[in-house]
Amino acid sequence: MLDQYATTLTFIALGAIFAYSFYAVLIAGQLSLGQAGFASLAAFSGAYLAPADVADVPALLIAVAIGMSVGALGAVVLGLPTMHLRGVFLAIATLGFAEAVRVVLLNQEWTGGAQGLGVPRVLTVGMAWTALALVAYWFWRMGRSRYGRALEAIREDELAARSMGIDVGRHRLAAFITAGAVAGLYGVLYAYYVRLIAPNDFDFVAAVEGLVTAVVGGSTMFLGPLLGSGFQTIVPEIQRAVGVEAGWIRPFLASLLLLVVILFLPGGLASLIPRRTRMPSGDGDDSAAGLAGRRHPAAGEPVVTLAGLSKEYGGVHAVRGVDLEIRAGEVVGLIGPNGAGKTTLVNMVSGLVPPSSGSATVLGTTIGSTPVHRIAAAGVSRTFQHSKLFNRLSALENVLVGAHLVSRPTFLRRLLWLPSARRDERAALRQAARCLERVGLSELAGSRAEALSYGDQRRLEIARALASDPSLLILDEPAAGMNHVEAARLSELIRSLARDGLTILFIEHNVGMVLQTCTRVVVLNFGEVIASGAPDEVAADPAVIEAYLGSADDDAGESPLAGDARSGATAAGAGDAPPDAVANVRPGAAGTLDTPDTSRDAT
Amino acid sequence: MQQLLNGIFIGSIYALFAIGFTLVFGILDRLNLAHPAVFAASAFVGIELVERGGLSLWAALPIVFVFGAVVGLVIERVAFRPLKNRADAHFAGLISSIALAGMLIALLQWRYGPDTRRFPPGSFPDTRFEVFGAQVTLVQVVILVVSLALMVGLTYMVTRTRLGRGMRAVAENPTAARVLGVNVDRVTAVTFAISSALGAVAGVLFAINVNTAQLGMGAAIELKGLAVIIVGGMGSLPGALIGGLLLGLAEVFAVQYIGSSWVNVIAFGLLFVILLLRPQGLLGARKVREV
Repeated sequence: MLDQYATTLTFIALGAIFAYSFYAVLIAGQLSLGQAGFASLAAFSGAYLAPADVADVPALLIAVAIGMSVGALGAVVLGLPTMHLRGVFLAIATLGFAEAVRVVLLNQEWTGGAQGLGVPRVLTVGMAWTALALVAYWFWRMGRSRYGRALEAIREDELAARSMGIDVGRHRLAAFITAGAVAGLYGVLYAYYVRLIAPNDFDFVAAVEGLVTAVVGGSTMFLGPLLGSGFQTIVPEIQRAVGVEAGWIRPFLASLLLLVVILFLPGGLASLIPRRTRMPSGDGDDSAAGLAGRRHPAAGEPVVTLAGLSKEYGGVHAVRGVDLEIRAGEVVGLIGPNGAGKTTLVNMVSGLVPPSSGSATVLGTTIGSTPVHRIAAAGVSRTFQHSKLFNRLSALENVLVGAHLVSRPTFLRRLLWLPSARRDERAALRQAARCLERVGLSELAGSRAEALSYGDQRRLEIARALASDPSLLILDEPAAGMNHVEAARLSELIRSLARDGLTILFIEHNVGMVLQTCTRVVVLNFGEVIASGAPDEVAADPAVIEAYLGSADDDAGESPLAGDARSGATAAGAGDAPPDAVANVRPGAAGTLDTPDTSRDAT
Repeated sequence: MQQLLNGIFIGSIYALFAIGFTLVFGILDRLNLAHPAVFAASAFVGIELVERGGLSLWAALPIVFVFGAVVGLVIERVAFRPLKNRADAHFAGLISSIALAGMLIALLQWRYGPDTRRFPPGSFPDTRFEVFGAQVTLVQVVILVVSLALMVGLTYMVTRTRLGRGMRAVAENPTAARVLGVNVDRVTAVTFAISSALGAVAGVLFAINVNTAQLGMGAAIELKGLAVIIVGGMGSLPGALIGGLLLGLAEVFAVQYIGSSWVNVIAFGLLFVILLLRPQGLLGARKVREV
């Protein structure tokens, strides 16, 4: 009974394996078409080098081993120089590689050139599906491991992933190598099924077909490639079975269906399968096995030391000559009018932007050439002015990615179902749940980040930043868009974090809240520090008032800023702030238009 | 000399094709993979206009231009506009345009059959010129003139007109452009129309140059078009022109000195080196990443 469909089933399996090689990189947001080249290299070298004097099946196994190694090796060779490319650029560079491989193999004698290379048919339906099952298993177990989450985070927002301490370059290369090995597997299996392989079997059209299969199936769920391959293989079969005549109608209908799927099923066919959202389990009995703790600097030790730090953008001095020391346990508020250089300053401190001159040491790490993820590893964690959440991941998953640095790699142990991996995953989950609870988002743990309200997104960013158990927490306008009740709650949260021993540096336009929350306020104007000190001193500083409200001469009465500061400071001293003590003053904000973040890097 | 001229003629067609490609990418950040199908379709339509409509070669060009523009509007409407707010618009747009291209090619097969088609004999004037000892036909001269005229016209439009200003505004920042009163949807649609019209004319000129039209001709030029826009710099119009000419010349000389089977390695070798050394392409600008 199976025999009748053997060919179709085998091709479904082969197509799915090839699609998995695209899935392997799509899940990390990389668009590569080089898999055709890896498959081609693997097919020819595997079939050519496999010993002829052994039985069929061992020969196939040897060829598979050779092919997968060749594919992975090809991915390293291609990946190292091209990993800095993104999106379409990477796609075209890898496509160029595949084309070059095709032409070179076409002109070799040992490959048989255009005539092709004869290979015995060894592969059976069972073998093809076994191989497919192994590949699918690999990606299934990868999905909920620390490694799998890191790849998804890179896909959603590379910069945020870096700030969570993920070494993006290494992860991307690893994904690329996986793609190479899987493509190699496909190449060899294909060769041992179709009897005759020619370099043109692995051309541009083949590469596009593999990509289409992966995307149609869905590139965010491990069953996607299988569904995609089933769809792509069965549609023509059904058309033939119901008697649609050959010619133009079949490709037309197939293309039409493809269009319908891509337009109306955003997540591909896999989105039809309901996805369980993982929730932290309530039974916290084995609470002993927590996450790796971090040694925080003792109160009073320097955490951030900036000396003459400057940043120029083509003649514009965004930050100039800033000297600043932040000691452990401090809560430092950074205020200043729009364009004063606040965000540039914290971007330098967190390693996203290299300084033009001056030096900076953060938690013992020198800023400048140190990659962002190393600085994060030293204990710096941050939020962004425009939310940079991993939009298509759930709130809980966002926070789990935040815990990347303090959790242990679990993928390989998950492949073997080791109980220790389960324990580590549970510990990470508990950590994430605690962070969500701390910012009051426990109920929304299963919601997608993009579905949250603006204020909730800001809080989720804070939870994600907390998950790495940072020594220095940097918040960039955390209260933006919050009403005064929410801002007061945020202020309380920040102070409670400080009581736990965190050092906090935060930018905020809500001056009342800053004065109420901080132990020290630093005022920046035109890139320079114009005041630094205790909140009430700073609020009374004429230079600060002038920076905010223009010349002080015509301001005989009490300035709103100073008044606000006084009430804020006393309220902070009394310890029970009335909710309306935090007035949402945004001096200097009038008339400016913050365009939303529309960076269009799709990958 | 003959080779040099041949390289320029074929290169100008590549450039025209690639400019349509790069226009959409540069302004909308989308790669429209239905572009090669427009290229192929217009070649068949052009042949039909000459064969059945009895039009002269030159009268067919403007009609094909309009045909391409209409197809471009359809592509934008069907394959790109429904996706514009999706997080995966980049991948999805690639796939939806591939699907639309498949439908277009299937329709061509329905109307014209799977065989290669040619212009009816006698549709080419056989005027020839001698330039520095090389043979040049009038047809080739026209190809070059039409390509250059369209490219100059496009450059003028993008840099000088109101519509062009709208396009550049959308390229910089669609949201800000919308806030400032640019009708982003209309600019997008017009961009697709112009892009496809250029691709269509390139298709007819290509068919005239080699006197054949095949269903697979779009796929054959697709890779070259991609190589050209990378080499020239994604989104750069003069870059696509230079890249196209460079590729045309490289191919012609590669055939002569190395052998025809290695032609594609030349193109992609060049592409690869450029990507490694200067990822933004010869004339592309490096995009500053926002934090």
